[in-house]
Amino acid sequence: MKKTNAALLSTPYIVWMVVFTLVPLGVVCFYALTDAAGNFTWANLLELRAYLPVLWQSILYSLAAAFICLLLGYPVAYYISHRSPTAQKFLYMLIMLPMCMSFLLRTLAWVGLLQDTGIINDLLASLGLARLKLIRTPGAVILGMVYNYLPYMILPLYSTICKIDHRLIEAAEDLGCTPVQVFSKVILPLSVPGILSGVTMVFVPAVSTFYISQKLGNPRDTVLIGDIIERLFKQADNPNLGAALSLVLMALVFVCTGIMNRFGGDTQEGDVIV
Amino acid sequence: MKHANRIITALILIFLYIPMAVLIVASFNTGTDITEFEGFTLQQYVRLFQDDKLLGLLGNSLLISILASGIATVFGTLAAVGINSLNPKLRKLVMSLTDIPMTNPDIVTGISLSLLFVFVGTTMLGQKESLTFWTLLIAHITFNLPYVILNVMPKLKQMDASLTDAAMDLGCTPVQAFFKVTLHEIMPGVISGAIMAFTMSLDDFVISYFVTGNSFITLPVEIYSYVKKPVAPKVYALFTLLFLLIFVLMAAMNLMQLRADQKRKETRVRVETEGMKVFKRLVAVTAAAALVIGCGWLILHPAEEKVTLNVYNWGQYISEGQDDTIDVIAEFENAYPWIDVRYSTYSDNETMYTKLSGGGITVDVIIPSDYMVARLIAEGMLLELDFSNIPNYAYVDEAFRNTAYDPENKYSVPYTWGTVGIIYNTKYVDEADVTGWELLWNKKYDDKILMFGNSRDAFGIAQYLLGYDVNTTDPAELRACANKLKEQRPMVQQYIMDEIFAAMENEEAWIATYYAGDCLTMMENNPDLAFYFPQEQGFNMFIDAMCIPTCCQEKEAAELFINFLCDPWISGQNMNALGYSTPISAAKDYMDPEMVESELAYPSEEILVNATSYAYLPEEITQLVEALFQEATKLID
Repeated sequence: MKKTNAALLSTPYIVWMVVFTLVPLGVVCFYALTDAAGNFTWANLLELRAYLPVLWQSILYSLAAAFICLLLGYPVAYYISHRSPTAQKFLYMLIMLPMCMSFLLRTLAWVGLLQDTGIINDLLASLGLARLKLIRTPGAVILGMVYNYLPYMILPLYSTICKIDHRLIEAAEDLGCTPVQVFSKVILPLSVPGILSGVTMVFVPAVSTFYISQKLGNPRDTVLIGDIIERLFKQADNPNLGAALSLVLMALVFVCTGIMNRFGGDTQEGDVIV
Repeated sequence: MKHANRIITALILIFLYIPMAVLIVASFNTGTDITEFEGFTLQQYVRLFQDDKLLGLLGNSLLISILASGIATVFGTLAAVGINSLNPKLRKLVMSLTDIPMTNPDIVTGISLSLLFVFVGTTMLGQKESLTFWTLLIAHITFNLPYVILNVMPKLKQMDASLTDAAMDLGCTPVQAFFKVTLHEIMPGVISGAIMAFTMSLDDFVISYFVTGNSFITLPVEIYSYVKKPVAPKVYALFTLLFLLIFVLMAAMNLMQLRADQKRKETRVRVETEGMKVFKRLVAVTAAAALVIGCGWLILHPAEEKVTLNVYNWGQYISEGQDDTIDVIAEFENAYPWIDVRYSTYSDNETMYTKLSGGGITVDVIIPSDYMVARLIAEGMLLELDFSNIPNYAYVDEAFRNTAYDPENKYSVPYTWGTVGIIYNTKYVDEADVTGWELLWNKKYDDKILMFGNSRDAFGIAQYLLGYDVNTTDPAELRACANKLKEQRPMVQQYIMDEIFAAMENEEAWIATYYAGDCLTMMENNPDLAFYFPQEQGFNMFIDAMCIPTCCQEKEAAELFINFLCDPWISGQNMNALGYSTPISAAKDYMDPEMVESELAYPSEEILVNATSYAYLPEEITQLVEALFQEATKLID
């Protein structure tokens, strides 16, 4: 009796989420399957084939970004989790803080840094060195992704590493493991859930970004799927094709996270963040 | 190993903070260019606090994020309690529902919500304006809820269920048990959920960008449109202040928590009171902030009946009062104190058309170009003007009446006219190469060429270069143009619009094609820039005209506004600042003589001999051009 009463509290939430997440996705499907006049058509879906290279390119860039984030983020998370509680709190805050600041302006600061006439190149020139081609390269786009989404990697890694039971490490050491073995046989396998959620949390925003590639990329080889969706909705007046592409993007993301979850087993709800 | 980790962590922190340092330094810069520090000043901070518009946008952002995170926290906490008592199967289902907005890319969430709001509001309910403050709030609550739930759920699971039972055995009602026991136990989760929701909401750009109409705009969405033109340094000042504020808040919270943790070690009983204290303080601070902002908002948006006029114009296309020019909008609001102008901008005709045809917004005045006026007339998207409210129409020159796009002078009043040409930097570009449009295809200037980011202007240039009629409807010719543009793509630095100003002025790019009036402005800011009319090949000559779209709600005020802009003095001052050409000869009396004599603003008949205008093309040709443009400039090889 009591339990069912409490369970009723979830009803408004369920209604809200159905109306504002499931129904809108239904509307997206509706747009994807109709033309500008509202008549049913397969044309948008058939046209998607042309966008496969762009989709593939987006996946490659964001996987690269996620991988680099992992390489850079793991040592940081490991380091933080082995500090005193006070230092942990402080470092954690330092990692969090950039996430709260306008990512548009921070990306714009990177434009200022990387431009041909930018801060880094001016510095090189004043030292008598040759200017480098930094901006409008694939590297710049990946850098932008790594920069913006690195905290999303560090935070879940940190909370996973914190949870590793120290007795396991001691046990491994007692049984004769070298530090490298302790890491590869105990610590690393136990951080897999953090790695997977970190990779997902970097991959999803990176694969759908449009701002980073517009600012740091070029029109030749860094056009991403997000750019095209944004253009279709905001300039090209083709929400139907845009909706079809959004569906593809969504399917891609759900397949990827599905794979991640399968590998990671059942992660506890709420592990992803915090 | 340990040392390596420490060094990497230090390097990563430096990496994370370098761009922030760049922005903070830029806020003290006397110049506007982020890459060049010209001198120290605090002037940007003074300008920031004088800028009611920018502060108003900050207020909007805070209002939305406080309301959304507050509502989501209460709603989400209750829901979490409910979900926790569901049977496991159902719980799993609800949790996967919760995962949808968490997993879905922001762009998809934004698009799906905006399509829903427009579909329900405009198509089903027939509302004129369906993207409002309320829909934005709904969107923010929707993406905030999962953060609250995912933070509260683990705490609920950790909680000993017998605690609630004990409370009720001791005579608590379920509600009392919730407030006295459950809420207390899950409080850390509620707080971290609320904070996370608040920060996500405050900095959200992508979802808001798609869900925002034009009546309620948040700071990040406005910053995105700033980013398309030179950013005013006062924005950096705002960034710096926000950075400091958040830093202090976070540090204070950490300190409070640390102190609470220390106390917890001392006595078990004190923990609870300390935890509650932290929470109460937090609530007090948040509530106070909310109150201040709420009051501020009420003061800024007084309840008195003011008519709101939505003006939707090109970026950089009205005098805004910088460097001794007049602020046209402020002048208008002074002249008509009962009208409040809400001004927003677009980068090109196509973007404006897309926004209008997408529905869901209210716009009272737009300023499209000739061919777009014709298209809007043909599609029944414009209202006929009541010229008795626009007596200043009498000043409009005969040459700008009975135009091809509006032959009966029913729907439009010309605002400016102008031409398109090539702007280049004489420091880097060899004069011998400046022979015509082919300059934009010159491999020598690889990656230093900027091209129009809209289909009509870009196709126009290919058409002049290839010698086609700019109003051709022959698909074969259009395909040839698309191929020409595709050929150009490897050399193009970017396809952009108003970002051209910054890129040409700071010499990031050397060659661009743009509107002559804007080129005049750029040349003033960088004396090495020069302008060229490809006279023989021909170039575009356009008229931009003020119109009232069918989604207008304040037609009379809109006509007053149009009339105001036709006032010769206003037009003269406005054109002085813009560099564009006025269709009102009487305005020239009030203009800088240098401007009036400029070959660029008022080219001679001889220069204009091959200049042509774009005409309205049939719907299917327009769509073909758009699709070919997307293909040529972005997509597939």
